[in-house]
This record gives sequence, structure tokens and C-alpha cells, in this order.
Amino acid sequence: MTALRVVELEAGYEPGLPIVRGASLAVEPNEIVALLGPNGAGKSTLIKAIVGLVPVSAGRVFLHDRDITGRAAHHMAHEGLGFVPQTENVFVNLSIEDNLDLAASILRVPKKQRLRDLYDLFPDLARQRRLLAGRLSGGQRQMLAVARALVGEPKVLLLDEPSAGLSPKLVGIVFEKLLDVRATGVTIVLVEQNVKAALAIADRGAVLVEGSTRIVGAARDLAGDPQVAALYLGQHQGGS
Amino acid sequence: MPDLLGLLSYGTFFLVFATIFALVVLGLNLQWGFTGLFNVGVAGFVAVGAYTSALITAPNYPDQIGGLGLPILLGWLGAMATSGIAAFIIGIAALRLRHDYLAIATFGVAVTLQLVALNAKGLTGGPFGLQFIPKPFADVITDSLAWNVTYLLITSALLGLSYVALERLVRSPWGRVLRAIREDETAAESLGKRAFRFRLQAFVVGCMLMGLGGALYAHFVGYIAPEDFLPILTFQLWTMLIVGGSGNNRGAILGALVVWALWTLSGNVLRELVPSEYQARAATLQVVLIGLLLMLILLLRPRGLLGEETVVSRHMRDETADTKKE
Amino acid sequence: MLQLVADGFIIGSVIALGAIGVTLVYSILRFANFAHGELLTWGAYLAWTALIGIVAVWGPAEPLGPFSFGWPLLVALAISAVATAALALLVDRLLFRQLRQHGNAITLIMASFGAALVLRNLLQFIYGSIPEYYSREIQVAIRLIPRDVLGGLRITPDQLFVLGLTAVSVVSLHGFLTRTTLGKAMRATSNNPQLARVTGIDVDQIIRATWIIGAVLATVAGVFSGLTVQLRPQLGLDLLLPLFAAAILGGIGSVYGAVVGGLIVGLAESLSVPLVGAEYRAATAFAVLIAILLIRPTGLFGERT
Ligand SMILES: Nc1ncnc2c1ncn2[C@@H]1O[C@H](COP(=O)(O)OP(=O)(O)OP(=O)(O)O)[C@@H](O)[C@H]1O
Ligand SMILES: [Mg+2]
Repeated sequence: MTALRVVELEAGYEPGLPIVRGASLAVEPNEIVALLGPNGAGKSTLIKAIVGLVPVSAGRVFLHDRDITGRAAHHMAHEGLGFVPQTENVFVNLSIEDNLDLAASILRVPKKQRLRDLYDLFPDLARQRRLLAGRLSGGQRQMLAVARALVGEPKVLLLDEPSAGLSPKLVGIVFEKLLDVRATGVTIVLVEQNVKAALAIADRGAVLVEGSTRIVGAARDLAGDPQVAALYLGQHQGGS
Repeated sequence: MPDLLGLLSYGTFFLVFATIFALVVLGLNLQWGFTGLFNVGVAGFVAVGAYTSALITAPNYPDQIGGLGLPILLGWLGAMATSGIAAFIIGIAALRLRHDYLAIATFGVAVTLQLVALNAKGLTGGPFGLQFIPKPFADVITDSLAWNVTYLLITSALLGLSYVALERLVRSPWGRVLRAIREDETAAESLGKRAFRFRLQAFVVGCMLMGLGGALYAHFVGYIAPEDFLPILTFQLWTMLIVGGSGNNRGAILGALVVWALWTLSGNVLRELVPSEYQARAATLQVVLIGLLLMLILLLRPRGLLGEETVVSRHMRDETADTKKE
Repeated sequence: MLQLVADGFIIGSVIALGAIGVTLVYSILRFANFAHGELLTWGAYLAWTALIGIVAVWGPAEPLGPFSFGWPLLVALAISAVATAALALLVDRLLFRQLRQHGNAITLIMASFGAALVLRNLLQFIYGSIPEYYSREIQVAIRLIPRDVLGGLRITPDQLFVLGLTAVSVVSLHGFLTRTTLGKAMRATSNNPQLARVTGIDVDQIIRATWIIGAVLATVAGVFSGLTVQLRPQLGLDLLLPLFAAAILGGIGSVYGAVVGGLIVGLAESLSVPLVGAEYRAATAFAVLIAILLIRPTGLFGERT
């Protein structure tokens, strides 16, 4: 049984202009998979398509072998899919507590206990639960975003560039946390530009180029793979 | 045998209005179709033009400002100038902000101008409006049909002129920037202050055409009153643009013809069918019908009858894609 | 002077209640709804119809205490609130929802402009354009402050009722938005609709709630306007500019801002009368609007995002 299986997915913002073109990916339970690729490859679009924010035109998505292709985004959290967007990933006009509390009420999980677990996992948040989320610093905000996505005890957590805009030290802290999260039994798909840091915590990696998955392999193999480096460097020079 | 002369006279009458509307809709199209500016105060800018030209050209009004008795051409130029100035002021306040704020601000302009028209008796003549607005060449051409035809020639010529000028304008680099601004907020933001200036220019030029339209109306009918410039006028003009197809100058003209024809027709039908004591009520149904037409077009054929010229917009898209990558 | 302030608060209450609806729709559906004023008008007239219906069935009722109206008006208000909410949901279903799915934000404004004209003219077709009243009773104003103190203050019991019920409405709405899950979900959606969806919030349901709240408050505002002034088909149109001015002044999306904005616009209108004359009263809202756009377009309580 796979935790998340994406089969030949095709998705895009406008009809007839697919951005994701035949992406496939199989993620085993409790794995961390890093989804890599140059700027504009369609990584964000791919995970947004998985969680139902971008329309899918072909292909299928299975969550624990249940077909969830094309379900409305607001069903996905109930299905057990957590998502941390790249930017604007907390409700800045609500307090930390209300960010979590709202998600718990919506997803009908036992509120007290779930929040206590999350505060144990993220003690920084517990200390300032009345603070407006908009006032948090970058690292803390990222923690809250992860905590918010975990409220419904998702089976699979998708993160879009959680390291973006963070100092190397904070990246280390956030990624440590992701290992803690995985230890609670969650499967993680991590979109990253920060190849080295991502492959350091991932079990496997996949490289997305022009909307389709090109290379899939063990993290430690990809880290030294000249082909991966070439894909990156080549695209970087071409793209900018 | 129907009265051929009567029919001809009616037709000219109809066409004069249609061409004046078309001129105003061209201005609206520059704002909305090409630049994405949402002006809900069209009637206000038309009114400014109409009143200005009347005050400049009419013989001296007793007990009030204006009635300078100057040449009609000066009146028309003055109309464009005052509408342009009004647009400039509003533009400075609202064009830097989100697009809805322009809609609200222009709506406020129309409401306020309506109040001024009704109450500033010393300037606008109050509820009775302004009379004795001179008709060009009326002293030379005394036959009313011949005069109507002459006036139609004038309005058509001005419409043709504006059409040609606008077509050249929107195909120029200036026009391409306008569309880039409309299509893509991020591209617009990267232009920063320049985007604001482009928007302001398009807004002012569009409103000048509306002012000219108002002046042409005033000198055709000969008298104006506040009730000529109610929100329903704005609504009719918008419907013309949407029905014809915004972003397309020929569409704007076609829309003006079609909607004005539907409006006159539905008015005549209601007048025939409804007993006179219910006419006032039935007139509200006319608005409901046109409103439903607008909504149906928005829902079913959002691009209007002609739609935006695709060559232009395709070209556009590539261009913004380029600016985005930079 | 005092009298003008009191009058300003009363018209300000009506504006505030309407502006809350404008600001909620703006922040959640993301467009300036030019048809919101018509919800006030329809709310007021539907209540009038319901009132006539109630009186026809149960006969006229004694006025409640010092007020000009009896229990039938309160029941009529409730009936009308339900009907007006249904009307708002119907317009959304037939028009706005379709455009949300396909069109862009600005076609929504235009559609709302068209919807406003259709709704207003339909109402005028049904009810005619002669002003109506809920009650022909003439109320005796209570003198609260004698004439020699700042011009004195007289107020009718109906006006006090308006002020009181406005306060109750605002406080309940505040409680709803800060305490209940639906209320928090509305605030979350207004902040970030995509994130709301992936959090599991059904945005369609939030939109329905928004229309219902907006329409109920619009009904209350419309009835207040009918009670303290009169019922006219232009009621909503005339209030539209003040509603927008109040919503922008308060900061789009801020309920408390809309209330404060409404009271300020109401006061400005009332205080401007001795300066510019009653006929230009309506232009005051425009002046406030332009001033706020020039000075502080995010409004007094605008959210920094
Ligand atoms: N909302 C949108 N509407 C239309 N096109 C979009 C939208 N968002 C992204 N795109 C386009 O989709 C393509 C892929 O973008 P995407 O954000 O998925 O790439 P990415 O791999 O996540 O890049 P990055 O590493 O920069 O985050 C880009 O060409 C982009 O222009
Ligand atoms: Mg991305």
C-alpha cells in the first residue's frame, strides 16, 4: 500500500495550458520524499493540484489507495491530507490559538487533546498562544503553518518550500521538527529549492522538470548525482 | 404607404442618438476595454460636458452664471476640457488604489454632480435645467429634417474621427502598455508610477469623449435637465459596451446601435401595450429588461457580440509573459 | 448642536448596519456590491408588506409602550429578514456564483450594478413610487436636554429604539465573529480563501452565511430608515454612497470599522447641514470618501496584510 500515489497527472490554471504534464510519484507510508526541480518547473502547481486547488485535467491521485482525484479542496483536509502553502500559510488576523482551534473545530477532532499534543511538539507556539499570527517571525510562522496543517492528524503532509526566506539556522530547526513530525507516523512530501537540506532529511527524492517527474531515487544517491546538478544548473542559466 | 418622410426623420433622429452614444461608449471602451478601469459615473462626465457647452454657448441666462454666447466649437472644446479636468481630479484620488475604489469614487461623482445639477440654480438652472442651447447652422438650415441630417453628419464625422484616432492609439506602444496593465496586475506593479500615469491618461481621454458626447446631446436637443443624466444612462452605456464586446472599438459602436434600438423598441412596445395611467410603472420594466439583457450577456456571452480582437490579446499575453519572466 | 449630533447618530446607525454588510461581502466575496443598497430597500418594503399581512389577519395592535409601532412590526421585521436573505441568496445563485466561477472580480461589480437597477425598478414596479409609512402615528419627542444647553436635545422613542437595537446587533455580531466556529471561519476566509479551503472550510457555506448576515442587517437598517424617515424606492440608492464611504473609512473587512465609519459619516452628514444646506447633505459622504482615499486609503481600522 502506498500513502500517496500520483499517476500521470496533468493540471494547470487555464484549460488547454497544462503546467503539470504527466507527473507520477509513489510515496510509501511514513516516508519523507523531497520534490525538487528548477524554478517554474511546476512543483507548487503539482502539489496544489494534489490538494484540489488547481484543476486536474488528466491522471489520478490516490491517498492510501482511495481515489481522491478532483475532490474539492475543502474535502482534502477531511480526507487526511495536510498542506502547508509556500506563502501566506497562516491566518494573520487570528491568534495562534484561533488558527489551531478553528482547524480543530472544522475537522471535528478532540480539541483540547489535539492542541495539547501540538503545543508539546511546538513549545514556542504554546508560550504565545494569544498572539496574532501576523506578528510572528518567519520561523515561528512556519511552525504555526505546520502545526495548523497537522491539526486534523493527516496521513500525508505536503509542504511547499518551508525553508523559503529562513536563515540556515532556522531551516535546520524547521527540518528537525519535520523529523519529529514524521516520528509521529506522518508521511511527508517536501517541495524544496534547498536541495542539500532537503535531501539530508529525505528518504527519497524526485526531480520535476517542465511539469513531469524525471528522476526518482534514494536521497543519498540523488545528492551526489551529476545529472541532478546538471538539470539544476542548466535550467538556472537558461531561466535567468 | 407609410409616411416615408416621417420614417426618414425618425431614422435620422434615432441615428443621431446612436452615434452620440457610440462616441461615449468609445470613451468607456478606452477606459474599461483597453485599460480595465471601471467607471460607474459615466452619466456624471456626460453631464459635465453638456452643461459646460451649454453655459459657454447659450445666450445670456438671466439670474445665473453663464450663457456666454460664444461659438459652438468653443463649447465643445470646453466640454472636453472640463470633463477631462474632472476626470483628472478623480483619477488622482482613486486610480492608485484597487479597481473597486475607482468604481465607488466615480459613482460618488455622478451622485454629487446630480445634486449640483439639481440644486446649484445659479449655475445649472436647477431642476428645470438649461434651455436655448444653440443648434449649429440652425440659422442657415431651417428645414428640420435637413438640419437633423446635417447634425447626423457632424456626429458621424466626429464618431469616425474618434474611431480612427482610438484605433491608432490602442495599436500604438501606448495602447499595448494599457492592455498589459489591464491584463496583469503584477506587470502593472512593476511599472509602478508609470502604470498610474498610463491609467490616468486613459481615464482622462475617455472622460473627454464622454464630455464631448454630452455636448453633442445638449446641442441636438436644445435643452438639458438633471434627469437626462441619471444612473440609468450610465447603465445603458455599459450595456452597450458589454453587448458589443469590450476591448473592441467596432463592438462598442455596434453595441450602441443594438442596445439603443432595443431600448427604443421596447419603449415603443410598452407605450403601445400599456394603458397610459400605468406608463410610469411600465417604464421601470424597460429598465428591468435591459438589466436582464446585460446579465445574460455577462453570463452567457461575456465577450459580447464581437468580442475582443484575438490577435491583439494573444500578442498581449506573450508580452506580459515576457515581462513576468524578467 | 446636540440635536444635530443625535440625528447624526441615528442616520449613522442605519449606515453602520448597511456598511457591515458591504464590508463583509467585500472582504469575503471580494467585490464592491452596488446592489447592497437595494437589500435595504427590499428589506424595508417586504417588512411593510408583512406588516399589512399581519394586520389584515390579526387586526391592528396597540403600540408597544411609547413607540409608534406594535408587535406586528417586530414580527414583520423578522419575516422580512428571512425573505431578504432568501432574495440575496437567490441573486447570488443566479448571478454572482456563475460569475465567480468564470469571470473576474470586476465583472462581479458590473453585474451588481445591473442587479441594483433591476432590483430597484422591479420594486418600483411592484410598489409604485409614492412614499409609505409603517405607522401614521405622530410621535411626541421626549426632551432630554433643555433648549438652553447647546441648543437642547429632543428624541423620539422610535429613535431610541433604533440606537438600542443597533447596539445590540453590533454586539451580537461581534460575539458571533469572535466566539463561534462559523464566525472565525468567516474571518479566516476573508483573510485567505485558499488557506481556508485547505483547512477544510467549505467556502460556499461561508459565502451563504455572509449573504444571510448582510441581508439581515440590511433589513434592520432598511426598516429603521423607514421608521425614522419614510419608505421610498430610492432609499437604498441614496444610502449606497454613505455605505461605501463608511466601509472604506472603517477599513474594508473590519466590522467595527464599518460601525465607526457609519457613525462618522452619519455625523458628518448631519453636521454639514448648517454649513452647506440640506440639499447637499448627500454629497458629504462623497467628500468623506475622497478625503479618506487621499489620506488613508486603508481606512481607520484597515488590516495590514
Ligand atoms: N496562478 C497562476 N496562474 C497562471 N499561471 C501560473 C500561476 N501560478 C504559477 N503559474 C505558472 O505555472 C508555472 C509553474 O509555476 P510553479 O509555481 O508551479 O513552479 P515552481 O516549480 O513551484 O517554481 P518555484 O520554484 O519558483 O516555486 C510557471 O510558469 C508560472 O508562471
Ligand atoms: Mg513554487
